[in-house]
Amino acid sequence: MKKQTLSFTLNDQAESIEIAPRTRLLDALRVDLGLTGAKEGCGTGDCGSCTVLLDGKAVNSCMILALQAEGRDVTTIEGLGKPGSLHPIQQAMIRSGGIQCGFCTPGMVLSLKGLLDQNPRPDEAAVRVAISSNLCRCTGYSKILDAAKTVIDGRMPPGAADGNDGAVGSRMARTDALEKVTGRAVYAEDVQLPRMIYGALVRSPHAHAKLLSIDTSAARQLPGVKAIVTGRDVEMGYYGYEVRDQRVFALEKVRFVGEPIAAVAATTPDIAREAASKVKAEYEELPAVFDPEEALSMGAPLVHDDVNVYEFDWESERKGNLCYKIEIGEGDVDKGFEEADQVIEGSYETPEAHPGAIEPHSSTAMVDSSGRATIWTTTQKPFAFRSYLAAALKRPLSSFKIIPTHIGGGFGGKLFPCLEPYAVLLAERSGLPVQMTLTREEEMGATLLRHPSKVELKTGVKRDGALVAQRVRMLFNTGAFGPYGPNTAALASLMASGPYRIPNLEITGLIAYTNNVPNGSIRCPSGPQMAFAVETHLEKVARAVGMDGLAFRLKNAWEDGDTTCTGQALDAVSVKECLQKAADAVEWGEPRTPGVGKGLACNWWVSGTWGTQTLIETNEDGTFRLISGCVDMGTGGMTTSVLQMAADGLGVPVESIQLVRGDTDTLPWDHGHGGSRMVFTIARSAYEAAKNLKQQLLKEGADYLEASVDDMALENGQVFVRGDASHSMPLAKICYNRHKKHGGPMIGVSSVLDDAPATTKAHPIGGLPAPSFCAHAVELTADEETGEIAVTRYAAAHDVGKVINPTGCEGQVEGGVAMGLGLALMEELREVNGKVLNPSFADYLLLTAEDMPPLKTILVERPASEGPFGAKGVGEPPIAPPTGALANALAEAMDVNVERLPLTPEEVVSLIGARRS
Amino acid sequence: MINDFEFTQPRDVSEALEALAEKGRVMPVAGGTNVLVNMKRAPLETDLLVDLTRLEALEPILSDNGRIRLGAGVTFARLLEWRPGGAVEGLMGPMCVAFAGPLIRNLATVGGNLCDASAAADASPPLLALDACVELESATGGSRTLPLPAFFQGVRKTARRATELVTGIEFSKPEDDERWFYYKLGKRKADAISIVSIAMTVKLAGGKVERARIALGAVAPFAMRVPEAEGILQGEPLNDSTIAAAAATAARESRPIDDFRATGAYRRQMVEALVKRGLNEVARRGK
Ligand SMILES: Cc1cc2nc3c(=O)[nH]c(=O)nc-3n(C[C@H](O)[C@H](O)[C@H](O)COP(=O)(O)OP(=O)(O)OC[C@H]3O[C@@H](n4cnc5c(N)ncnc54)[C@H](O)[C@@H]3O)c2cc1C
Ligand code: FES
Ligand code: FES
Repeated sequence: MKKQTLSFTLNDQAESIEIAPRTRLLDALRVDLGLTGAKEGCGTGDCGSCTVLLDGKAVNSCMILALQAEGRDVTTIEGLGKPGSLHPIQQAMIRSGGIQCGFCTPGMVLSLKGLLDQNPRPDEAAVRVAISSNLCRCTGYSKILDAAKTVIDGRMPPGAADGNDGAVGSRMARTDALEKVTGRAVYAEDVQLPRMIYGALVRSPHAHAKLLSIDTSAARQLPGVKAIVTGRDVEMGYYGYEVRDQRVFALEKVRFVGEPIAAVAATTPDIAREAASKVKAEYEELPAVFDPEEALSMGAPLVHDDVNVYEFDWESERKGNLCYKIEIGEGDVDKGFEEADQVIEGSYETPEAHPGAIEPHSSTAMVDSSGRATIWTTTQKPFAFRSYLAAALKRPLSSFKIIPTHIGGGFGGKLFPCLEPYAVLLAERSGLPVQMTLTREEEMGATLLRHPSKVELKTGVKRDGALVAQRVRMLFNTGAFGPYGPNTAALASLMASGPYRIPNLEITGLIAYTNNVPNGSIRCPSGPQMAFAVETHLEKVARAVGMDGLAFRLKNAWEDGDTTCTGQALDAVSVKECLQKAADAVEWGEPRTPGVGKGLACNWWVSGTWGTQTLIETNEDGTFRLISGCVDMGTGGMTTSVLQMAADGLGVPVESIQLVRGDTDTLPWDHGHGGSRMVFTIARSAYEAAKNLKQQLLKEGADYLEASVDDMALENGQVFVRGDASHSMPLAKICYNRHKKHGGPMIGVSSVLDDAPATTKAHPIGGLPAPSFCAHAVELTADEETGEIAVTRYAAAHDVGKVINPTGCEGQVEGGVAMGLGLALMEELREVNGKVLNPSFADYLLLTAEDMPPLKTILVERPASEGPFGAKGVGEPPIAPPTGALANALAEAMDVNVERLPLTPEEVVSLIGARRS
Repeated sequence: MINDFEFTQPRDVSEALEALAEKGRVMPVAGGTNVLVNMKRAPLETDLLVDLTRLEALEPILSDNGRIRLGAGVTFARLLEWRPGGAVEGLMGPMCVAFAGPLIRNLATVGGNLCDASAAADASPPLLALDACVELESATGGSRTLPLPAFFQGVRKTARRATELVTGIEFSKPEDDERWFYYKLGKRKADAISIVSIAMTVKLAGGKVERARIALGAVAPFAMRVPEAEGILQGEPLNDSTIAAAAATAARESRPIDDFRATGAYRRQMVEALVKRGLNEVARRGK
């Protein structure tokens, strides 16, 4: 194909390049011109991460051919503000906390600029419209709207000079905000290596079929193809999380639509995809099973011939398509039902949902002459990835080095390998660095999803509203493989009674294999599903005994001293406080207006532990390096709270601590970012390391000053004898001397291991450390005829134990509410015969800025007994209650029984049609 | 998989028409918001792409002698700022607000929307309710004008010949007392594809319907009028029974399918509900 010349103005400079006509403006910028600030979240105009200004107007650069920009003026994020001379919108985004993972940020900033250049004083509604093409999965848009408002009002949000200096409790801005807001942060697909080629996967078109043969000859003929690999060419092992049931390529048979059977690398992504389409495989179709209930019934087609051949970490009955079963109970439910005045039953279903990160999976691998692979990738768990890869490719763990890049949103979707093994195999065979990136269609159609659920509840209640017994049967469809199925069911079993006192319980959780796309461990795994089932059902129970939902919950909610179904004794329980505060915020007690509904839901969740280590090292000049193997999936805990707590522990300004970024070769081991563990575990560990180092600094000071270490203090950069300021020594001097005299730094260390609270009953997960509590309240109206729901008010009360960074906590709640509302209102991946019908952001809808209701975030502080400051996890829980709260509000507004999600207009109309008598 | 075509950016309409008359497969591109989505999914079936974005002649919005002419290259962002008043603004305004999101509106053109002829194309129902015609031009065949219903021919099929360019859309400016109603039903507040969209203009005289045009989107292979329902109203007053009869008839005339976004049954139910809502609103606005 002939190249043509494109001449245009790019960021105020004349630019002229030769490009193929098919090149999109986005590719010209990213690949030909090396400006990677514009991102490709979808490539189909649906996400806005590729936004640039074209003659001053915000447009999607994935929707324009580069040659169409001939003679025009293009502004990218790189042309807006530079470090040191930021545009006011960029400054405001940093200070307001409008940036989390940062993947949407360049586009968001440019859309705002496009608006403000045309209309410097828009109202909030106009701002919402202007950014409604820019999807953000992290922030819930609230802080982005705040940022816009401060620019419009001509004031700046408070910054470091206003007391947000990094002390614990201050609104310190995240330290990676600057590189994100200027488009310089490097995400996985921004990695560019010399001589890099591109990979693509060949995927199964069948849900269940014997794989008879694969013919790669036609693909090999294509000019530009550098390597092809199939399952027959590789030594493969089984890998997984609790259950190791999966291999890199399907071998004897395929088990879901989209399962990789081969991988191809070529000089361009287009050629790689073309070659992939030329790989011919012969299949013999097998009967498939898609419904989990059917999968567990006699005679169903078997997804795996014998599930017991797979290694499995937990005890469980496993047979047929049963991947995992958990049973837990307390008291005697049947007796409980007898004692009850009423017994209410219900069944609740939620669909498959996508984590929805705007950044698709992308990995780049390079293999050196010794066969060792270096992998740049978007991962929440770099260390675990080494062991997954080691198992999958049957190699020593040390043969992988993972370099985690910035993550454009994790949400659990990046806990498990995706493209890494293929990139390694292709790099090895081609001898070249290989980059692989999923298309949005692959991302939505063949990556790990949130488990669809069916939860049946039977509840006995006394006339006075006291809960006496509950039987719960939970069925989760894990798809063809069960990487996180058992974990999801085990967590669900703990959520099955909600945060309520129920003396008689019988809980069964089942994970079924089917020929659907496999599911993973998505933000708050099982949380939204269980909050929907339990909270919707209990509202029904409250109604049956004629009680108000708030009063009913307050009557049954846990208090300090109550125990969970595993016998874990609870303290710092704040359900009631959260419920009351959320309810008050929507004026719960006010007389009800017909057609308007209010709903409540609450839940509890874990603050994750798992092991981590932190080192804090002195530099010669009295500054510090904080070294942790934990990555930040975008929430910002690492670049705010962790540093804040370290600074507090040391008694030094936060700016003097540099966060080290590294890789699995150089950093200490860490479990990974997930499970709401960043503040509870990583920041706690950082705090302990800081304390440890401080002690050493004081000791060093005491030696110089010939004083007792117990009398020493560190403040304002000085180590001094308490009460005697004349006996002091600058911190910088102590550090310098230490390096000079002993040839090296002082190092504060901390190692945290799993320490789950005690339970009286065996449970694979055990006690949940520092449980957190929350309650949400919502007010809505619905259109009786069309079924459209309008959320008019929303309040979320979260007990975070202790607020380390208010902006960070609020950001998690706001973004979580947006995600939870999405699950309640519109998010649903629908599979028919194992094929995803809506693998795009055009049909898998995330909330836009226009859909986000006014939100009141209430932070409750009931400190946990574990760890300093008592902080609890807040990353996951906010996404759970919206499902239940919405369902309950709709039930009231429209007098309907909600039994499944999402509450699309059509679903609402069908509920109204079947209105409860 | 591999898109291989040449690209040309004509500076005036005659150059564009000549390019379209060239041998081989030729395809115009305007805002590109359909073309580039298609290109992402599969190679474009063309040897030459003719960029229309520099054709100034496609850009003006003209109002003259009671006729309005929209250049095919008018973007939805431009249309959104246009203030023609009356029924035209009453239909086009909310349609533009509900059309895609602001980024796409800055690119997408009315001409592209009609030529793509998706069942859910949002510009069609208002333009059908305004009784608009499409102007086509070619290098050899001169120009012709087709009423919109004749322009749409099937699923993503129009009467446009490969060598023709759509240059504009034309319609009579409705009289000041023309009444209207517009509604787009989607799954979220911004940037949602229509489940059903409806546009109507109604002219009342002496308490009776002199003429009603009711147009529906996303409930048939292409946007449609509902002549029987319109006929029911003709010469009748707008009251509960005529409105109910027209709404039920419109629902019957619609030919919706089941797809991921909605079932056909729901779409049909919504046609009935929204036609009713629209006619009631039209009736009320007169009082
Ligand atoms: C994220 C997203 C959201 C969208 N939302 C909506 C929506 O809400 N409602 C809606 O209706 N559509 C929507 N669309 C579809 C699309 O934006 C519209 O159809 C748009 O109007 C197409 O115009 P365009 O100028 O971009 O067309 P192009 O993509 O340039 O062209 C479309 C087709 O028309 C042909 N063509 C274009 N102009 C002419 C002409 N003058 N003469 C002859 N042929 C021509 C092209 O060859 C092509 O076949 C959306 C698209 C995206 C990507
Ligand atoms: S990448 Fe362009 S809109 Fe998503
Ligand atoms: S910060 Fe917006 S998508 Fe992550």
